[in-house]
Amino acid sequence: MDNSFLHIKKIMLIDDEPDLLKLVSKILTDEGFKNIIIATSVKEGIYVIKNEKPDLIILDVMLPDGDGFLLMEEIRSFTEVPVIFLTAKDETADKLAGLGLGADDYIAKPFMPKELLLRIYAVLRRCYKEEGTLLLKLGNCTIDFSRAEVIRDDEVIPLTAKEYTLLETLSRNEGKIVTVDAICEALWGDNPFGYENSLNAHVRRIREKIEAEPSKPVSLITIKGLGYKLNTRE
Amino acid sequence: MRSFGKYISKHLVSFAVFILLLLLINVIAFGCTFHSIIKKDYGGVSPNNMLEEIAAASTLDGLSDEARNKLESNHIWGIFLNASGETMWSVNSPQNIPAHFTVQDVAIFSRGYLEDYPVFVSNTHSGLLVLGYPKDSYSKLTSNYFSIQAIRTLPLYFLGMLTIDLLLLFFFYHLSKQKIIKNTEPIISSIKTLSNGNPVSLSISGELSEVADTVNKASKILSRQNEARANWISGVSHDIRTPLSMIMGYAEYIANDETVVNSVREQANIVRKQSIKIKELVQDLNLVSQLEYEMQPLHKKPVKLSKLLRSCVAELLNTGVSDFYSINLEIAPAAKNTSIECDSRLISRAISNLVQNSIKHNPQGCKIKISLDCSDTALILIISDNGIGLSSEKLQELDEKPHYMNSTNERLDLRHGLGLLLVKQIMKAHDGTMKINSIANHGFTTTLTFQK
Repeated sequence: MDNSFLHIKKIMLIDDEPDLLKLVSKILTDEGFKNIIIATSVKEGIYVIKNEKPDLIILDVMLPDGDGFLLMEEIRSFTEVPVIFLTAKDETADKLAGLGLGADDYIAKPFMPKELLLRIYAVLRRCYKEEGTLLLKLGNCTIDFSRAEVIRDDEVIPLTAKEYTLLETLSRNEGKIVTVDAICEALWGDNPFGYENSLNAHVRRIREKIEAEPSKPVSLITIKGLGYKLNTRE
Repeated sequence: MRSFGKYISKHLVSFAVFILLLLLINVIAFGCTFHSIIKKDYGGVSPNNMLEEIAAASTLDGLSDEARNKLESNHIWGIFLNASGETMWSVNSPQNIPAHFTVQDVAIFSRGYLEDYPVFVSNTHSGLLVLGYPKDSYSKLTSNYFSIQAIRTLPLYFLGMLTIDLLLLFFFYHLSKQKIIKNTEPIISSIKTLSNGNPVSLSISGELSEVADTVNKASKILSRQNEARANWISGVSHDIRTPLSMIMGYAEYIANDETVVNSVREQANIVRKQSIKIKELVQDLNLVSQLEYEMQPLHKKPVKLSKLLRSCVAELLNTGVSDFYSINLEIAPAAKNTSIECDSRLISRAISNLVQNSIKHNPQGCKIKISLDCSDTALILIISDNGIGLSSEKLQELDEKPHYMNSTNERLDLRHGLGLLLVKQIMKAHDGTMKINSIANHGFTTTLTFQK
């Protein structure tokens, strides 16, 4: 999926390690992000957030003048801006604390640049999806999410609500396997047991709409025993 | 615990034996002290023998000289009365002894004293022989009588009393043993807990509270040391993470930078790969030490294991597994909807560690199979590959030799990664077991068993 519409988003980094700030800035600018601001302490952070109104904050848990978790609480008191925690503490210990405070994701150091970008995109897409291009190009057709339609040659085929949700769930994790459990949860809520047959039926109907040969799918792929994957046109 | 009970019994029994020994010593000391007196009182010169001897030598007319001398040498006086109470003869008799005795007189002195002299009488065929011993030489019991019934009951009484005494003694012994065990049981069991390396907190009042305090103190020291060690490891792993991020980040940059010479890019790639190894080690190290010292809070919830496995395998595949490897998930119908109480993050970590192990040890590629099955009492999760496996010696070593994390063995050649140790600890934290199996060139299999 094309993520370039997200490159105008203002990303704010709060970390006291200058070398790390430099690295993350480089990763982001090389990717195409144009608007990067930094802060190196809790005090500065709050001031900058209030003035600059960033679209995403990447926040280190350990700061010289305070705890990132406390800063998080303070941020949440005046804005709902998405926050990703970056921390050197162990994942298993801190993850729950971070997400419990309303953080959107959590990245444990050390991280690979690619991993960082993937997480940033995932959060940005989730928070700002309505602004993006809502056209998804597949091998054989295009899906227009704004109208819930499949555009195939000259034909326009409408999608049902469930089909729409299913495709949207897969497109958010485009190129990645989404388990049947996660799909059922997206379609039927918290206790989605026993819906496997319904899911199969929905997948079959979607394939009829988007695949050239529904029996030999190229876009909506079954991963045996696990779930499904949506491949876009390269 | 049992050995402690034995220990108490042994000591109480030896105490009883000592008391018996003491009684024996007393008897012997008594014998030694009174030996001569007893011999005198009941031996050859006892009043009874003297009476018999003198009686044999006396007649109505007088006494033989030999007997007379014997009386004199023993300072004994004697008189001989005929049937009407007249003194027939006397030997050394004091001034105040009358010459005539009435029946009442005889009845009274025959039981005890005559003018304060202890006297002994003997009836002969011709008269009554009376021997008087010096004043204060013997004490006579003038009123001793026992009812026959009392004497007859006596053996029964002794036997009964002895039995009751023994029973009471045993009862008391048992009671005190129980009491000692009851009071010391918490101390002993907490020492046992302590010896397993687990912290204890004892609260006992009374005489043993001091012991309890000492045990608590030892436990505190132990916990503090463990905590310090875990914190130290956690601190080191924490401090490594930030610099490692930069090493990994910049190495990746150089490796992907097309303006850089190829050989440098290759070297950067090696730096990147090796730093990923350090990253894995750091992550495992911290968790292993947290689990080892039980400092890792477990967030156990009922989890459908089949669902957890699907998301775990999907995540592994999504992060990019090379085409040399395939991961297959097989869930038996019986295990499809089974849930267990577990910390899903830790279980995911264990599964991912095992899959990563298969990938790491089989650079030529392999097929990895993950299967979940279910018996009446347990859920069985098997992660296996068809790769190079391990020789039986290596397998044994891996299975039996303690890891360097919990060993003081300094031999470096026995050291291996933390991956399996972590899996073992995660299983332990879930009351489950891990079993490894392998045949050289025929793959490696890890079986994880969860109790339902």
